[in-house]
Amino acid sequence: MISVFSRNRELKTRKNILRGIYEDNLRILGKGPGITRKRKSFSFRKAGLFVSVLFIALLMSGNYLDFPLHEEKQIAATFSDYGKHNTSEEYRAFLDMLEQNSVYPDKDLKTNSDYKAFLNIPQISLSRLFGLHVKTIMIDPGHGGALSGATGKMGTKEKDVTLDIAKRLRDRLQRHGRFNVIMTRDKDVTVSLRERVELARLQNADLFISIHVNYLPSNPINIIETYFFGPPADEKTLRLAERENEATQYGLSEFKEMIGKIGNTLKYQESRKLASSIQKNLYTNIKKEDKNVRDYGVKRAPFLVLLGVDVPAVLTEVSCLSNEIEERKLNTESHRENIAYYLEAGILDYLNKGEAIYEAKRR
Amino acid sequence: MKQREDNVLYVGIDLGTSRSSVCSSNGKREWIESYVGWPKDFISQKVLGKSVLFGEEALSNRLSLDLCRPLERGVIKEGIERSEEAVREIIKYLIHSTKPSSEQKIHAVVGVPADTLKTNKLAIRKAVAEFVHSLLVVSEPFAVAYGLDLLNNSMVIDIGAGTIDFCIMHGSIPSEEDQKTILHAGDYIDEQLFSNLSEKYPNSYFNKNMVRKFKEQYSFVGQGKGEIHVEMPVDGKPVMHDITNEVKKACESILPAIIETTTEMIARFDPEFQIKIKNNIVLAGGGSLIRGVREYIQNALKEYGQCKVTQVDDPLFAGSDGALKLAQDIPAKYWETL
Repeated sequence: MISVFSRNRELKTRKNILRGIYEDNLRILGKGPGITRKRKSFSFRKAGLFVSVLFIALLMSGNYLDFPLHEEKQIAATFSDYGKHNTSEEYRAFLDMLEQNSVYPDKDLKTNSDYKAFLNIPQISLSRLFGLHVKTIMIDPGHGGALSGATGKMGTKEKDVTLDIAKRLRDRLQRHGRFNVIMTRDKDVTVSLRERVELARLQNADLFISIHVNYLPSNPINIIETYFFGPPADEKTLRLAERENEATQYGLSEFKEMIGKIGNTLKYQESRKLASSIQKNLYTNIKKEDKNVRDYGVKRAPFLVLLGVDVPAVLTEVSCLSNEIEERKLNTESHRENIAYYLEAGILDYLNKGEAIYEAKRR
Repeated sequence: MKQREDNVLYVGIDLGTSRSSVCSSNGKREWIESYVGWPKDFISQKVLGKSVLFGEEALSNRLSLDLCRPLERGVIKEGIERSEEAVREIIKYLIHSTKPSSEQKIHAVVGVPADTLKTNKLAIRKAVAEFVHSLLVVSEPFAVAYGLDLLNNSMVIDIGAGTIDFCIMHGSIPSEEDQKTILHAGDYIDEQLFSNLSEKYPNSYFNKNMVRKFKEQYSFVGQGKGEIHVEMPVDGKPVMHDITNEVKKACESILPAIIETTTEMIARFDPEFQIKIKNNIVLAGGGSLIRGVREYIQNALKEYGQCKVTQVDDPLFAGSDGALKLAQDIPAKYWETL
């Protein structure tokens, strides 16, 4: 009798497994139930953090100049702290150069009210000015481990696609033999944004490229867009930043230090150029294969991973998982390899313009 | 459970990084090295007399071929589209070798490395679809587990060439958390052995293919049985070399990651079932043939309590046997929609 029960139980188990395999394969064929991003739980910590990022982003746009005097003083104190913590020869030389160089609109750039001018330095690349070079490139495949990111209807996960493209990009860049290419993760593990930022610092990265895949639940189009840190221009970008900042681990108390990073003009200049080059290469090449792809351009957004890294940093949304055709294409090796190739071309174009020979100021 | 139809040929395929095998319901069993080569030019084509070569034949004629090992990360030669084409060629070859009759439908289950499955599902389906009527794609360690009836409280460690795949079975289809892949596998041993030998014998002349053969013939961990001597040329003259320590060191280089991943995965599992899993660990894949690997892993894991590690009898066909069993067990109604 017992053996009959046990046999029945085994048959049931087997039946369940076979059904599971069948349903999994149906999903691959796009016949399974649609799956979308996991709903994210609301957290006061995250909300506070997000408000703070927005606040910083507003500062970057120069709007803080209109703030009441006591707020302006607080900000000034923060920026002067930034200077105190960066007493290296490099940093002093940097300030001296800014002071002495007549191309800048004002001589004294160390006070807060000159910060806007500091960001609007005329069309001279500071990297060229200093003759700096890129040696180490850090590639950051978005999400990973417990954080899957977006999931397409066929079950394709953003974390798997970003990791695969990142590895291909790494292999491509390594073939040049002149870059040290590092990844924030090379397998399916959870890495917090904080750990990604720390890794970039520890490895002395000179460029930071974060790879993501978009998801637009209400609009089944395929878009390409690339971000660098800055105040967002629209509501959609704010929502996207909220999603991509989910694994932060930063505390509010650490924001003082992060505010200091806003003063990194060199990073701002180079990030914008790198983002433009990557976006241009991605879009123009993908457009040849997909006439319907849309160019959402280069944008500023308050992504924490871009703020935290000291060097030129961009976050690129290379494809769109909510678009079924695109999801199918992302499941082919050749499409992922092509994306890696376009990213490589974007990075090389940026480096070869000569304006980008830049080795980051490190702390 | 079996619902076999007379006009259907069931096929189980193990599409491995290093070797691929096929088993079919008409009793055919075949395997090849997962290499595909196309003649480089018309001269090569004339010399070789074939438009495409597979496995060992492709390897031994590699100088005249564009050689591709499709499931490796990247390919040996440039051009990723070639790797998709190579997968198609391997599948075509394997299915052809089962000799299906013209009126037979082919229902196939294909096992692929767990990591490949994550992003290449559709590509693999596309590559296989043109040669079969209906198809299921599963992860390799799962196919092995299914073939051995290890459906509950067990763990399969599939030591392949490109990856080592871990899979815990607990009475249902394994989720992502139940499967893990590490990249330090057979190919990594080759790299280590090549580097060890280059360091010890800088004047000797050998290539990666020779090193791979040394590994396959002599690999061991722990206490070996005597010294290993191989012949390699030095300044054109064949000279015997002692490679015992180099082989041991290279083979043992993958063990810490295996032990760490195994203990980590078991530790994450429900504590009530941990002992059962620890006593039901099965090694599969070509790497399970490394002499002493089963004993080494069992001894290392004993530190965490009683455990039993076994190995599959036929690592070359364990995956395709499991895939065939799956193919025969899948209800007919499921095949209709696949």
